Amino acid sequence: MSTTTPPVQPAAPSGALDISSTPRVPFGRLVRVEVRKSLDTRAGRWFAGSIVALCLAIVLITAFAAPDAAQDLGFFLSVSGATLGYFLPILLILMVTSEWSQRTGLVTFTLEPHRARVVGAKFCAGLLLGLGLIVLAFAIGALGNVIAGGAWDVETGTLVNGVIVANLIGIVLGFAIGMLLMNSPAAIVAYFIYTLVLPIAVGILGAFQEWFADLAPWIEFNTAQASLFEGDAVPTGEELGQLLVSGFIWLVVPFAVGLWRLLRAEPK
Amino acid sequence: MITVEGLTKTYGGFRAVDDVSFVAQPGRVTGFLGPNGAGKTTTMRIMVGLTPPTQGRVTIGGHAYQDIPNPGRHVGVLLDASAQHAGRTGREVLTIGARTMGLPDSRVDEILEMVSLTPAEAKRRVRNYSLGMRQRLGVAHALLGDPSVLILDEPANGLDPAGIRWMRGLLKGYADRGGTVLLSSHLLHEVEQIADEMILIGRGRIVAQGDKKTLLSGQAASSLVTSLDNDALARALTAAGHSASPAGEGLRVDCETAEVGRAALAAGVVLTDLRSGAAGLEDLFLELTADTQREGHPAAATAQGGAA
Ligand SMILES: Nc1ncnc2c1ncn2[C@@H]1O[C@H](COP(=O)(O)OP(=O)(O)OP(=O)(O)O)[C@@H](O)[C@H]1O
Ligand SMILES: [Mg+2]
Repeated sequence: MSTTTPPVQPAAPSGALDISSTPRVPFGRLVRVEVRKSLDTRAGRWFAGSIVALCLAIVLITAFAAPDAAQDLGFFLSVSGATLGYFLPILLILMVTSEWSQRTGLVTFTLEPHRARVVGAKFCAGLLLGLGLIVLAFAIGALGNVIAGGAWDVETGTLVNGVIVANLIGIVLGFAIGMLLMNSPAAIVAYFIYTLVLPIAVGILGAFQEWFADLAPWIEFNTAQASLFEGDAVPTGEELGQLLVSGFIWLVVPFAVGLWRLLRAEPK
Repeated sequence: MITVEGLTKTYGGFRAVDDVSFVAQPGRVTGFLGPNGAGKTTTMRIMVGLTPPTQGRVTIGGHAYQDIPNPGRHVGVLLDASAQHAGRTGREVLTIGARTMGLPDSRVDEILEMVSLTPAEAKRRVRNYSLGMRQRLGVAHALLGDPSVLILDEPANGLDPAGIRWMRGLLKGYADRGGTVLLSSHLLHEVEQIADEMILIGRGRIVAQGDKKTLLSGQAASSLVTSLDNDALARALTAAGHSASPAGEGLRVDCETAEVGRAALAAGVVLTDLRSGAAGLEDLFLELTADTQREGHPAAATAQGGAA
């Protein structure tokens, strides 16, 4: 065994810890560590890599398959951005839930006992990763346009609402679901129910009940978000109201409850 | 120094930790000993702020854990060596810790060497680690920030005999250089040889504390003796006011060995074996925590067992 011995900081005779010369862990460092943690496992790298690969595959397929008339830069950006939008929330979910499912929270929250700081750092790390992926998705979209020889037209609405805002919503949503459920499989299943099953159910209900079809965009966030994907059309006052109301129900409430849960939970 | 004052933790109606108070002094190794489910881990989790106490408080070097900035640099914690991301390499686990604490990456190599994990092993994923390797990694993580206080839950768990001896030396050295070491165990012999001070806990309550001598001082004197004529010796001892009862080949007597020798000398009986029969720490431990154990099995002590 090694003979190296670390010098123990001499404790004051009273046994008091002198903490005056130790600054707390800077927030930026916490963020960098969180970014690292989301990419330092094979699973993490594969997941991020697969999202990019999938965007690339789908853009290439559309470049060859879609009718030429429809193809311009805006079209490819939204194809790439929408593909990203499906999977980006899962990346955020895993960032949060792995602390519980893999039990690393025991160490994380011991090294930084102020959990709100850890959560903040994680969120910033998720935003950074998400923005990085959005930029990559843009590049892939542009590549698709080059291959298809499409026009370099893009509507600002597509770019801002359809890709950036929609993906930012996805980031917040994934983070909220992760905090709320603190369990990887449960959170991913919940996400797919929310994003795939719920809109279909609402659609079917709405087809039968007119009053429900009118109500749906107010209470179902996916339905409300449809107004984000209408090119340059700025959401009307009513649509904005629907976004705010349903967003409050599906984004703000889960986020707040999830945060409350996470700050109190006992990592086991 | 770790100061625990009136710590209580209840889950529903169940008191996992019940009014626990003790002090772990700097320069000493304090052993926290108790059967399974006694509340050791819960107490340690409260110390580092992972579990909020129902009542009472803990200070480390005079501060609540939450108030210690960059706590990894002051307090080394090992609660559960298996609580690591299975997909990370051992080196990566330590690198994350080092980065969080603001230590250079060279510290990771230093600490890997200190716990005898080879570079090849450090490159393996934690999922493929043996129990002992995981434990070494956990200890390495606790030592990373060169803390002056160590809180280790069952650090010897899964270590081979050489590893246990190494751990003993390491912790002793830490305490000798002024560090505070608190380690838990449910195995007495693990703690007995290294701890300067022992805290015995059973079903959430402290049942005894002190150093080995103090703990044993309350024990009634007792001797075990074998002679060529046990009957004659028994008569002589009884005449001298002691009570002697057959035990195996010889007798158990409720007095010091010197008294037995004196009685034998007076009676002219040849002794073949004479030693102290005082209950050791093990017996004391089992006796003190007896009501927390089912059918006298220390391992079966779960709080759900009800009053024994
Ligand atoms: N979150 C919880 N909810 C309910 N009971 C709990 C909870 N956490 C711990 N307990 C109970 O508290 C008691 C003390 O558990 P603890 O883990 O502290 O024991 P321990 O002394 O560390 O035992 P061991 O030697 O087996 O590690 C146990 O009965 C346990 O079941
Ligand atoms: Mg335990």
